[in-house]
Amino acid sequence: MILRVRQFLTLAGLTAVEAIRQPICLLLTTACVILTGLTPLLLLHQFGEDGRLVRDSALAFHFIFGLFIAGYAACSSLNREMRSGTASAVLSKPVGREVFFISKFAGIAAVVCAFSMCAALSTLLAERVAEKFLEARMTWITDVHTGRMLIAAPFAAFLAAGIVNYATRRPFESTAFGLLLVSLLAVLFIAGSFDEFGRIAPFDTRVQWRIVPASLLITMALVVLSAIALGLSVRLGTVPTLTILFVILIAGLVSDYVLGRLSSTSNVAIVMYRLIPNWQNFWVPEALVNGGTIPLRYLLNAGIYGAAYSAGVLCLGVIAFRNTEMK
Amino acid sequence: MQETKTSVVEVRGLTKIFRDFWRRPKVKAVDGLDIDIQRGEIFGLLGPNGSGKSTTIKILLGLLHPTSGAVTVLGRSPRDVEMKKDIGYLPEESYLYNYLSPRETLDFYGKLFDLDRRTLKERTGQLLDMVGLTHAADRLVGEFSKGMARRIGLAQALINDPELIILDEPTSGLDPIGCRQVKDLMVTLAKRGKTILLSSHLLADVEDVCDRVAILYNGKLRAWGSVNELLQKQDSVRLTLPLQPPDRMKEILALVREKIGASPEVDHPSMNLEQFFLEVVEKADKAATYQSGAARSEGVAKYLSHD
Repeated sequence: MILRVRQFLTLAGLTAVEAIRQPICLLLTTACVILTGLTPLLLLHQFGEDGRLVRDSALAFHFIFGLFIAGYAACSSLNREMRSGTASAVLSKPVGREVFFISKFAGIAAVVCAFSMCAALSTLLAERVAEKFLEARMTWITDVHTGRMLIAAPFAAFLAAGIVNYATRRPFESTAFGLLLVSLLAVLFIAGSFDEFGRIAPFDTRVQWRIVPASLLITMALVVLSAIALGLSVRLGTVPTLTILFVILIAGLVSDYVLGRLSSTSNVAIVMYRLIPNWQNFWVPEALVNGGTIPLRYLLNAGIYGAAYSAGVLCLGVIAFRNTEMK
Repeated sequence: MQETKTSVVEVRGLTKIFRDFWRRPKVKAVDGLDIDIQRGEIFGLLGPNGSGKSTTIKILLGLLHPTSGAVTVLGRSPRDVEMKKDIGYLPEESYLYNYLSPRETLDFYGKLFDLDRRTLKERTGQLLDMVGLTHAADRLVGEFSKGMARRIGLAQALINDPELIILDEPTSGLDPIGCRQVKDLMVTLAKRGKTILLSSHLLADVEDVCDRVAILYNGKLRAWGSVNELLQKQDSVRLTLPLQPPDRMKEILALVREKIGASPEVDHPSMNLEQFFLEVVEKADKAATYQSGAARSEGVAKYLSHD
């Protein structure tokens, strides 16, 4: 049992390291952070509330970029390994197939969580930048200092990673990924030491922490998507898996509207409604409108739903993987 | 008292049919194969591409499932995960994680065998030294040449000091020095009682090291037995002498003709190209100061060489 746990941790760690060291993962995370950071500058309109459009856009970036990371990481860590032979090499060791499969999921989920932390920090900071404040001279201003730091954070992380790579030969991608997270935390800390007008003030992050539960819900959705992607990648390559993921994403977003209404009259609709994950459970930016918050009970319920759905998908994946031949 | 040999691998009537999407038979990769591999021997699985060698090996490792027949490895079913603790496997291609360094690769595989940290560190160092990659231990494997990747593949196959070592085309992509080292390693391991299954289509490699061979073609066993039995010409004999003066040579040939009634063939024994190459490289290596590829190693890892 202890051996299995150690194998699980080793394989999950390897999966996470392999995923993070792939340039695509760093590119997608950086793109998400920069686009989120640019959103306050590009969006000149608002829907009756400072920062709402920025917040909604940032959460959407979190979801979409996270979908690509989850899908790509799942395919590259399982289907590509099965085709390239690394899975055979590992399974020729005393490693059970179920341990191999579940550890792949754990590794991908860890990467998704790391990405989500970057995305959530960017969302918090971008929302702070988007809020307008009334200065003494009666002019509306925004917190451009934080905005500049947010945009600069990825470049600072890349520069530092380049120096570390030159000095120690540590892989650039994984170092940059880690430093990106560190730099975003640093921006949060530094920005907290200044007020909205750029003056030194007692420490206060001045961000809307109530956004965090919304980011957490999106992370849960991404973890469920990772499980589905991993299950699909037992038999399918990257393109079919990502295509099906998109279909499931769209179907899950509209299932309340389409299948929910039909489920009173059609048995097929009832089955489809139950089978397709309901992403509306995880996409709740409306709850944050005008200072609203997401209750803890809702978070717990969504977490249980996500965990149960992921567990079901992973069980099917394990059954499929156990009978798959390694060519 | 005669030592009783025990079978490490037993294969009876093994057949493997690959099927298409509709489950229709597509190709019969292995057809009614029977082999026994004894403890402590180097067994060669010979055959051209597509003859079923790799398929057989993957069945032995539980990576593929047989269509019919019985297979036991170390007395257990190939599907038994525990059995794999005593197996080392070098795949046909060096299936390595491109984003890991050689040190990380060996560390990763060692952890799958639950080796303690100290043992793992010792073995990793010794194996890197053995395969001549200590100087490249922290570069990413994805940057390596095929031969260097092959060396890491070999090192990972030996990290657990296995009882049964399965080597699929181990010298593929290696330079002649690497080939010689791999062959020497196999002989050393066999002397320690390890069993080696060597799959190759390089006949010289198999001839150099194997005790017994099985030749496959189109998935069927075509010939098998000890290398000496299969290759020895029983109706002739070779006599090697130190170089003689021409007059004495004529006398000797005349005497032989008189005794056997036929003219013997006379030639000068020559070293083969592999031996000649190794001598040249050895001289060059003594003069070299810088190494970018795989370095010459100083023999077998300590933990693999003592009893």
